[in-house]
Amino acid sequence: MVGEKKFSLFSMINTFILACVAVVILYPIIQIVSISFSEPSAVIQGRVYLWPIGLNFDAYLEIAKDHRIPRSYLNTILYTAVGTFINLAMTAVAAYPLSRRHLFGRKFWIIMIVLTMFINGGMIPTYLVVREVGLLNSMWALVIPNAIWTFELLIMKSFFENMSESLRESAVIDGASEYRILWSIMLPLAKPALASIGLFYFMGHWNSYFLPMIYLRDTEMYPVQVVLRDLLIKTSATETMGAEGTVALPPEAVKNAIIVVTMVPVLIIYPFAQKYFAKGVMLGAEKG
Amino acid sequence: MTNPHINPPMEKPSRGVTSKLLSMWQHIKKDRQFLILLIPCIVFYIIFRYGPIYGVIIAFKDFNVYDGFFGSDWVGLKHFETFFSSPDFWLLFRNTFLLGIYTLLIAFPFPILFALLLNEVKHQLFKKTVQTISLLPYLLSIVVIISMLTDLLSPSRGLINQIIAAFGFEKIHFLIKPEWFRTLYVSSDIWASMGYTSIIYLAAIAGIDPTLYEAARVDGAKRWHMMRYVTLPSLIPTILVLFILSTGNLIKIGYEKILLMYNPMTYSVADVFSTYVYRKGLLERNYSFATAVGLFESVIALILLTSANLLSRRFGGNSLW
Repeated sequence: MVGEKKFSLFSMINTFILACVAVVILYPIIQIVSISFSEPSAVIQGRVYLWPIGLNFDAYLEIAKDHRIPRSYLNTILYTAVGTFINLAMTAVAAYPLSRRHLFGRKFWIIMIVLTMFINGGMIPTYLVVREVGLLNSMWALVIPNAIWTFELLIMKSFFENMSESLRESAVIDGASEYRILWSIMLPLAKPALASIGLFYFMGHWNSYFLPMIYLRDTEMYPVQVVLRDLLIKTSATETMGAEGTVALPPEAVKNAIIVVTMVPVLIIYPFAQKYFAKGVMLGAEKG
Repeated sequence: MTNPHINPPMEKPSRGVTSKLLSMWQHIKKDRQFLILLIPCIVFYIIFRYGPIYGVIIAFKDFNVYDGFFGSDWVGLKHFETFFSSPDFWLLFRNTFLLGIYTLLIAFPFPILFALLLNEVKHQLFKKTVQTISLLPYLLSIVVIISMLTDLLSPSRGLINQIIAAFGFEKIHFLIKPEWFRTLYVSSDIWASMGYTSIIYLAAIAGIDPTLYEAARVDGAKRWHMMRYVTLPSLIPTILVLFILSTGNLIKIGYEKILLMYNPMTYSVADVFSTYVYRKGLLERNYSFATAVGLFESVIALILLTSANLLSRRFGGNSLW
């Protein structure tokens, strides 16, 4: 790729600007990892700028010992797994009939579904409905009330619409039921689309703090993001008061160790998921 | 809505109705497996999407948990009157609109610029790396992002304040200074969403007809000129659509973020409709009042979206519907 043009002034400035952007985006993320691995004294004195100073796993040992963190981490894994599974099942099962051009009442169903993107009850009525249904303070409050995201449903529907009709027809001739066709023909072929919307659902569950915060009362049920939020509120409160804790382990190190632990699964999935990620955004953009 | 002929004019013979109903019945029978598959979805939307929409009626009632949605007493516009006449109203109105407008005007161009610059990179590995990095913040939860922001701005150990101190200025306690709140809100928004939003623009750029560039090259256009006169104009429809969407979302401020960022010292600039709804409704359990505030916010949002769409259709020919 070395050519004359590469050294034009425009290219140089452009490369420089983009490199700066990359640094600005990456820097806080690297610093978090570094602080979590650094010597406590270096963290307290604020000397960790980029790379870790020393190598110290105390923060990780600390969070492993604290009974709250491992449990909340397991909660997050449970909610994400169950939640994403229900999301995908509900979305795929709904998208398939809606993709049939001659479905009974198709236009009505679609209008009623799309309408909810523009009109919704808002935070309080939704909360009250969830309470009325009796889901409060249970895992299902995080899973059922958002079992289908309208946007992802429309993406899935348009994916099914674009699938070849001939496969389905031969199955119909063979006497297969629609359930069978959906399960054995459509879903296997829809894997890329499922991966794409599944990624968004996954991220939604993994990173959510607001819904668990309002729906769960039992601290034992908290996912890790809510625990992290409590820590954040607490550390920023001590900052505000100007009080510096004299504990051996600086709160930043512990907090950042938790952050690193929550980031790891996402970062592992990310390289494999990136193409689905972009595809999901694009499908969404076309629909939107 | 499904069938406008259920109640036909009287003079029509009733045979038409029965045959219509009959064909409808046959249609349902033919689609029965599809409709069974659709049941969970319908139930879900009725309970969790239309249920809350119906629940909005409590904005006109004095909701209490014992009487529920149906039994509580009607109070008309009482809650709206209380809200409009309270001193909070104009403060919230101002904060919500200012945050929305700043985000729209300042943050909106960044993904476009980023996509344009990235598109000019010839070195594929560099391009891919920068794009991958730019998407990373999207993977982080808002709690993590605000935690990073707090660390960076910390007066005792944060990098920003260390730089300020190194230049001999006085350290700034950013997070409790009202005058810094909007800057922090908008800049962290740019940091977190620029890469993600730019995907849409990059795809639009990839779809531009290459012959346009060839024609420009024949005419002696430099790369800068091509960007200015070919790429950017081709992006206008995409930009317009995203601009309408952003205008529609103008007052939908990210309350999840503000709830983590604000504190009593910055309430005067940071408190917006949705955070107010959260505090009044879920913390103070003033359900009806909070619902009224939320309803007011939704109505304004809907008006904004519809008018942005209308304007765009009139002037640009692009619209959402």
